[in-house]
Amino acid sequence: MACPLPLERGVPTQSITTREAMKKNTRKTLLALLMILGGVGFLIIKGISDTGVYYRTVAEVLAEPKLPQQRSVRVSGNVLPGSIDYDQQNLLLSFRVRDMEQEDKTMQVRYQGVRPDAFKEEAEVILEGRFDRTGQTFVAQTLLAKCPSKYESEVQQQ
Amino acid sequence: MNMVTLGSLSQVAAFTAALLAMLLLLLGLARNDLRFIESGRRALAGVALFTSMAAFALLRLFLTDTFQVEYVASYSDRALPLFYKATSFWAGQKGSLLFWAWVLSLYIVLVVFNTRHETRRRNTPYIYLVLASIVGFFLLLLNTVSSPFALLPFTPPDGQGLNPMLQNPGMIFHPPTLFLGYIGFTIPFAYAVAAMISGRLDPDWLRKTRRWNILSWIFLTIGIILGGQWAYVELGWGGFWAWDPVENASFIPWLVSTAFIHTAIIQERRNIMRVWNMTLIVLTFLTCIFGTYLVRSGVLQSVHDFGATGLGGYFLAFMLVTGIGSLILIAESYSQLRTEHSLESLLSRESTFLFNNVILLAIAFSTLFGTVFPLISEMVTGRKLTVGEPFFNQVNTPLFLLLLLLTGLCPLIGWRRASISNLKKNFLLPSSLALAGGLVLFVLGVREFSPLAAFSLATFVSATILLEFAAGARARKRLTGENLLLALPRVLWKLRRRYGGYVVHLGMVLMVIGITGATAFKQEKEATLQQGQAMTIGDYRLRYTGFRSFQDRNRTVYAATLGVTKNGLPAGEMTTERRYYINAKQPTTEVSLRISALEDLYLTMPMIGKNNQITIRAAINPLLVWGWIGGGLMVLGGIMAIIPSRRRRTP
Repeated sequence: MACPLPLERGVPTQSITTREAMKKNTRKTLLALLMILGGVGFLIIKGISDTGVYYRTVAEVLAEPKLPQQRSVRVSGNVLPGSIDYDQQNLLLSFRVRDMEQEDKTMQVRYQGVRPDAFKEEAEVILEGRFDRTGQTFVAQTLLAKCPSKYESEVQQQ
Repeated sequence: MNMVTLGSLSQVAAFTAALLAMLLLLLGLARNDLRFIESGRRALAGVALFTSMAAFALLRLFLTDTFQVEYVASYSDRALPLFYKATSFWAGQKGSLLFWAWVLSLYIVLVVFNTRHETRRRNTPYIYLVLASIVGFFLLLLNTVSSPFALLPFTPPDGQGLNPMLQNPGMIFHPPTLFLGYIGFTIPFAYAVAAMISGRLDPDWLRKTRRWNILSWIFLTIGIILGGQWAYVELGWGGFWAWDPVENASFIPWLVSTAFIHTAIIQERRNIMRVWNMTLIVLTFLTCIFGTYLVRSGVLQSVHDFGATGLGGYFLAFMLVTGIGSLILIAESYSQLRTEHSLESLLSRESTFLFNNVILLAIAFSTLFGTVFPLISEMVTGRKLTVGEPFFNQVNTPLFLLLLLLTGLCPLIGWRRASISNLKKNFLLPSSLALAGGLVLFVLGVREFSPLAAFSLATFVSATILLEFAAGARARKRLTGENLLLALPRVLWKLRRRYGGYVVHLGMVLMVIGITGATAFKQEKEATLQQGQAMTIGDYRLRYTGFRSFQDRNRTVYAATLGVTKNGLPAGEMTTERRYYINAKQPTTEVSLRISALEDLYLTMPMIGKNNQITIRAAINPLLVWGWIGGGLMVLGGIMAIIPSRRRRTP
């Protein structure tokens, strides 16, 4: 099967017919490659339209609530102080999230799962999900809480 | 001597030596004088000496708790175990940059030594020159914007400590092996560029760098797998790969270099695809640099990134210069590189290699595209649209399946032109096995397309490889009269370059099995328990039996113990912990794992409430252990393929 061939260096003489056959082959190969590339392009575009998620601020979501009813969006904001209600037995977390700039814009969030360690009042959270049927409560599929410190820590001046 | 002075001075000396090397090499080339080239070689050895001294100095500073050094104060503290003080060396941006320059300079010494009889060749001085400029770039950054020896205006009483998540044995091996891989590709890149500048375009450069390529690929593979393993056992979210930007940054060069290793074989055997290979090695090197750029630029959010470090611009400029320079070189040598030969048939082993390349690059492209997509979409449309894990899984799964199919087809198809009848004969057994495997799974209740296809193809590929092993053993038996059990290991060893490749493929098959099992059939459950209460997941019942807390070095530990029964039979105890490190704001979870050939039981405790009421997150990951074994096999096969034979160097 895989018999080792001698390495070929120079250009061997070829008859006209094989050269034509090669041209045909090159065309076939190119066609196959184009089909693959087309397929990949299709996969990528379909991937984006199926799974792409819009980033929104809380204020933007409240201004245009249609989008988060149709598909998942990612929303970032801060946890409104005094709004956290966590039922550890049933792992149900509900709270209000506030827009990072417009402080009067808030929305109710429900999340089923474990409360993350960094989840505190005023913590920045990133939610991914959509509105429930009432259009009043945002149901988060994922909840990321960000601690303020960066990976690269800075030594505090004393 | 003061280690700070030693370190800073060594860095300066190393940079000077690199500049000197470049100057001497340029002079030697201009005057065609070998004596200058020889001096340039010595200057390159000097670079290695000085970077080693700088690395030694930084290590000493960590071990002696010299917190006046900003870098040490940021990544270590007194309570840190000695072991992790040493690994803090590469915990941050500055130290990892020094580590990079140090390893590269050691690699260069190896090249300088290996080429000691080849200094008269036209391309050799150019290899040195390219290497000197690249190491010079890193040393320039170390000396100007990113010195690990920078001092604070005061001496803090203690350091800030190492991120608890980095306090894991993974820290010893995962970053350095990745770096060793990334850096290693610099050498073949330098050979390729030197070949183009000097016009020595014969496949010599490919042969000389084959071991460098495969070795770097091995390191990259180890690094990626250890990263996955680390995430799995330490981070506690139950997964091993999240398509995080920095994970992708290591995966993209892996894909491109894998493609390169395959078509390099074609060029060696048939002397075709020369332009293609030049392009691929340039791309491999560029994607390696791109990875370091992503980590250091702060343009994307990731668990790995170092925040905005101000180095992004330098790496971007470096990438642009290298990219455009290489492009010009390839364009200029195009007429000499292109070959009259082409593929003789669409049905040939060469063409399976070509298609494998296209698929690998397609995966690399979609991964790159998905990684930078949020940036592109914001620039183009002004709206922030992002893609995550589902995108990568949806786009890449069919491509991976296609790749797996090609892996199986390749050994069945002969070189140059395969005959249909021959193909039919070779095909029969593996494809019937694959169909049978798929049918069994279907009967067992697996209905989704992807896992069905993955397992069937895995069967198909394993069958073709094992048949190939058997054919080799039989051929040796005919030749030597040995029995088959003896002939098999001997033929594998004798033709290890070829069979090493097949072992890598077998490893990949196992990895596919592990990943498919753990993603398609994963079970997860969360529950809050009082002492004495139990939860069930799959065949397991977990009863919360004990809780304790204790002080341990630099952390306070809370540990919950659960008694496990499987199908009603006792199956031991598992203990999972939450740890509060003194210097960290966040507690960490300590995973408890019960591994078996069929499935992993994975426990974490994301929360402790009043009266020691605990929340347990349990997961069952079927078959995952085979993924790790497969990873080991891939590395083993790679090593097999580069072990030199005793008598003569394999070309």
